[in-house]
Amino acid sequence: MRDRPTGAVSFTKRFPDKPMARLLGPLLVSPALIIILLLFMLPLAASVIGAFEVEGAYGLGNFTKAYEFYTQDIVFTAVIVGLSALLTGLLAIAIGGYLTLGENPTAVAILRWLYRWPMFIPFIVVGQILRTFLAKSGLFNSTLIALGLIDPLTATSYLDWRGIVIAFVWKQTPFVALMVAGAMASLDRGTIEAARNLGASRLRILVEIIVPQVTTTLLVGLVLSFVTMMGVLSVPLMINAQAPTMITADIAFRLNTYRDYGVANALGLISLAISGVAAWFYLRVNMRQGR
Amino acid sequence: MSDDAYLNLRDLDAGYGRTRVLEGIDLSIGKGEFVALLGASGCGKTTLLRSIAGFALPSAGSIHVGNRDVTRLLPDKRGMAMVFQSYALWPHMTAARNIGYGLRLKGWRRDAIAARVAEMEALLGLEGLGARKPSELSGGQRQRVALGRALAVDPDILLLDEPLSNLDARIRLTVRHEIRALQQRLGITTIHVTHDREEAMVMADRIVILDKGHIAQLGTPQAIYTRPASAFVAAFMGAENVVHLNATCSGHRVDIAAGPLNRAASLLLDWPAPPSGRLEARFRSERLHLRRLDEVPQEDANAVELIGRVEAVVYPGGEWRHTVRIGDGSVLVDGTEALAPGTEVVVRVPTNGLFLFASPVDAPTGTTPSATDARSPVRERLTA
Repeated sequence: MRDRPTGAVSFTKRFPDKPMARLLGPLLVSPALIIILLLFMLPLAASVIGAFEVEGAYGLGNFTKAYEFYTQDIVFTAVIVGLSALLTGLLAIAIGGYLTLGENPTAVAILRWLYRWPMFIPFIVVGQILRTFLAKSGLFNSTLIALGLIDPLTATSYLDWRGIVIAFVWKQTPFVALMVAGAMASLDRGTIEAARNLGASRLRILVEIIVPQVTTTLLVGLVLSFVTMMGVLSVPLMINAQAPTMITADIAFRLNTYRDYGVANALGLISLAISGVAAWFYLRVNMRQGR
Repeated sequence: MSDDAYLNLRDLDAGYGRTRVLEGIDLSIGKGEFVALLGASGCGKTTLLRSIAGFALPSAGSIHVGNRDVTRLLPDKRGMAMVFQSYALWPHMTAARNIGYGLRLKGWRRDAIAARVAEMEALLGLEGLGARKPSELSGGQRQRVALGRALAVDPDILLLDEPLSNLDARIRLTVRHEIRALQQRLGITTIHVTHDREEAMVMADRIVILDKGHIAQLGTPQAIYTRPASAFVAAFMGAENVVHLNATCSGHRVDIAAGPLNRAASLLLDWPAPPSGRLEARFRSERLHLRRLDEVPQEDANAVELIGRVEAVVYPGGEWRHTVRIGDGSVLVDGTEALAPGTEVVVRVPTNGLFLFASPVDAPTGTTPSATDARSPVRERLTA
């Protein structure tokens, strides 16, 4: 029999009867575990419980109130975030597709350099930039008027749901495009060339060959974007805080104006549920792909 | 441009950026011919195939199919279909959808596509596998799906980019013959890129040997094997044993002077001899005659005899393979009988297995074999 390497024997094998050794593993994990429990799980649990607390007793009062006051905003939020995610996905595919299939090296290089910038700009700044850009007399309308595309008299402000969607898409597209372009770049080029060899146009290659192979990455990016957008307060506040607005603005309003933690918690749980639907959708698609 | 040639390459140059990969390639391929592009990694064979396919634009020269100039045409306008080294099957489509995709692009009706796909599946022995995704197929089946996808569109020319390199050795041997039989049955003009000499030999009508972007030799497998045009081709075709000899040549006659490591010989070649002077002599390890130094020599003089000592002997199957040290280098020699290491021997190389070339100017003086020299340029390229 060969000599056993002494250093490589595990702690529990070396001291099979020492209870210390058995405790060592959990002990090493405990700091991280305690931080997660104290700073994350506990407040989350408190909020969830708080959502069902009405004047000392438990009930669905907060939810009925949230439903009465904010149904429109809840639908508005789901639609805005869903639409933004959809547009983000389409733009990300377009950008990734051009980076993968573009035949003009200069244009590809410029796009590659340009598209990431919004990622480094905070949401609040995005809101601020778009507020001046999309206002009735903002740069967007002035440009359209200068180009003769609209009449000065018919110019309207875009600072409503459209403004929020534009802000979200503008901010989130680079992130999703980055993920999608990376996945596209790592595809077997042969699969693209094989399609080109048989006569597929670039659009068909993108839609029928490339996108189906990067669906998982695209969905991960979109679910992450969806959840991020669900939690953004600055953009609705900057662009459109009047009704209908997003749930985040309502939560802030309930807390700051009424100190109404119950309804705020209930609204929080509702937005968590909407995010949960997105996550469930993602998991389902993922499982089907795995099979 | 010869009349019966179908695919014609004229003075073709290609490269990436400033690197020139191919220079002055002239090649004519007849209709229905199976041509193998053979060469080591980096010799330009894949670039040549990609230029023909339209994935790499040549920087000079022309490509004609029949009377059509296709040099600048898009890949799908050339009537060629390619099978990729990785197969490049679309993982999200079933085998049947992979095979039928080219027809879908051509706007065929659904039932016509289904019929053609069924025909392809029957042709390639893929019956019952149409509904599977590529990940559910074996390597050999994927390879056949890739072949089916290329053949479904009924191309004029089939391009194969090392289609067997991802298969394991045993399957590869049968697939070789399957592809060759299929090609002959369909009579389709085929260009096959490979780095495997034997694969090229058994599959192709003609072999193009590429070396550093040039055609080193072009001919039938037999011609290239028995009459290599250069030392590079000889080495590539397995004549890896090298010795350098001093000789006086005229016409088909070669008189080799006796040296410290070889006996004098007077050879009569079937082909013109190289110029007199230092010669690089190459030979394979097979079909040699190995005997003890003290044995009586054979009478037939049409052979070169080298004197050396057995260093090692192994049995790879068939015959015993001896490593024989001759001077500073060594050669590999097969023999029916194992001779113990240390035995002084004579290696007899008959003229029909001996390839003589003028030595490169920097070749060492004296009879110095260098077959196992690690710095040999051919070996370096082969192992790269």
